[in-house]
Amino acid sequence: MSAALDLEGLTRVHASGSAPALDGFTLDVPAGSCVAVLGPSGSGKSTVLRLTAGLDEPTAGSVRLDGRDLAGVPPERRGMAMVFQRPLLFPHLSVRDNVAFADRVRGVPRRRARERAEEYLGLVQLAGYGDRPARALSGGQEQRVALARALAAEPRVLLLDEPFSALDTALRAEMHDLLADLRLRLDPTVLLVTHDPAEADALADAVAVLDGGRLQQAGPLGELYARPASLAVSRLLGGRTEVPGTVRDGVHTSALGPLALPGPVPDGPGVLVVRPEAVRVTAPGDPAADVTGTVVRVRRRGLRALVVVQVPGPVGTAVEAELAAGEELPAGRPVGLVLPVGARTVVPPAGPASAPDPARSAISHG
Amino acid sequence: MTPRRRAVLLVLPALVPVAAVVGAALVSAVLLSLGLTPLVGRPELSLDAWRAAAGDLGTATRLSLGIAAASTVLAAAVGLALALAATAAVRRSRLLGALAALTIPVPHLVGAAAMGLLLADTGVLARWLGVSPDAWPSLVGGPWWVAVVAEYAWKESAFVALVVGGVLASRARSYGETAALLGAGRWARFRFVTLPLAAPALGGASAVTFVYTLGSYEVAALLGRPYPEPLPVMAVRLAGSIDLAVRPQAAAVAVTTAVLALAVVLLALRALRRLSAWH
Repeated sequence: MSAALDLEGLTRVHASGSAPALDGFTLDVPAGSCVAVLGPSGSGKSTVLRLTAGLDEPTAGSVRLDGRDLAGVPPERRGMAMVFQRPLLFPHLSVRDNVAFADRVRGVPRRRARERAEEYLGLVQLAGYGDRPARALSGGQEQRVALARALAAEPRVLLLDEPFSALDTALRAEMHDLLADLRLRLDPTVLLVTHDPAEADALADAVAVLDGGRLQQAGPLGELYARPASLAVSRLLGGRTEVPGTVRDGVHTSALGPLALPGPVPDGPGVLVVRPEAVRVTAPGDPAADVTGTVVRVRRRGLRALVVVQVPGPVGTAVEAELAAGEELPAGRPVGLVLPVGARTVVPPAGPASAPDPARSAISHG
Repeated sequence: MTPRRRAVLLVLPALVPVAAVVGAALVSAVLLSLGLTPLVGRPELSLDAWRAAAGDLGTATRLSLGIAAASTVLAAAVGLALALAATAAVRRSRLLGALAALTIPVPHLVGAAAMGLLLADTGVLARWLGVSPDAWPSLVGGPWWVAVVAEYAWKESAFVALVVGGVLASRARSYGETAALLGAGRWARFRFVTLPLAAPALGGASAVTFVYTLGSYEVAALLGRPYPEPLPVMAVRLAGSIDLAVRPQAAAVAVTTAVLALAVVLLALRALRRLSAWH
């Protein structure tokens, strides 16, 4: 039932003269895979889904399903189903008839459609809920019914528009497990939109990062964490250390001093980004330490803590590091930092349009 | 104070005047129709007024129900279409909405006069179409009450559109898109999603339209024929007659109208309760 989805150069301008909501977006979603479009609110990620589903017309570009161009094909003939952030269960139908909806409008006899609906309700672990009115469910159950209803349509591509973001953490994890299980059983092609890197990590085989309507980087999430292509990608994935400097002969020179880079990087200005998980905190006198500084802030994150270490210098540069589980460091303590060579990534400096916002730099500069 | 008692107290200021006015009017009409409050002579329980009115009462009831039903069906159909058009998110839908809304503040009497000028055999429409008055069908004052039904349908369709449009505006689009993505074409979306979503509002607005049309006097008086009369026209004629002895008959007709309207309201409420179980 699954098909390969191929988006090419998708562009959508809502009103002439305004900035495009989506600008030349290209993405391959292989049959049976799950690809996440990750981006902050307003980045154009929902536009990707609306254009794919045919709910809006692209200004330019094409949507292809198994090689067939879908231009001019109305949403009901595209063989796609979508689960939105709100469950949008039809309030006048029972849970069972909601799930049977696609079969009913396809002309399947009522009895057969209801039997099939029961099967899909069983798949989302809601067997026995069929007789309830749609409004007599909890939020998590509603979203599971919405998922069952979409799957019962046997879509060639399943579109998920932040479907779990309104659920609490435990329910969300449960839904992630459920979706992973459904993927194993039904092998659907899934295009998921989310603002949550953890959700993309839990569900998707590959991730496309979208910012300001433009594709920033695409690939497996691990690769994006390790080698972000731009400041936007680094920030979206939770990177906070940004040290401006200059690259020359494979060495980045900045307030942190000269630091050798793992791979070839073109000479010129560049911003060094390092993930906090990669940074190791040691004693200030440790000869292995690349930089020394002072802890200026501690941010709790469950068992682990993030520390912001200020490195002395004319500009005052901060590096974030994640401590090992249970480890504690008070503010004011001098420390040494090891920035492993493999974890050093240089990205181009941000243009004037995407300069870091002042609140954020105030934090990172302590 | 229990929440229930507080709720009752809050409703009282609205309930008391309604109950007083409607109750007093109905009770005095019933008493009058039963000969218990005669203008002259001794009060005496009798069905004379009902008997005297009985002959025309049946015809008038059928006629009134017919006019109300035809007007309501037309108003509901046109109103629903207007509401759908206005929520279709097309540029011209705003113009449509504005035109529909313009109808609402026009009084029925003005509407009736306009409808008369438009549809009469010497009216604007006949002239524009170049049809001579002899060949023009008798829409005003004719046997089919066309002008009366047209006026009610025109005026009430705007009301239906306003009520139904309000309900659809907030939900029709998202549910429609969901249904489309589940494979429902235009007709299936209307049949299985839009219509059921609109049904409670459409039912409520239709019930109000029906009851209003059933009890409304001026349009039928202005555009209808002299005989047979619908209930309200008959009641007003009898009540205003110089023969004071027919006043109890007028009361009997008014009571009949009120009972019919009440029955329709109760039926509609029952049906609506079933519909609103969806929401």
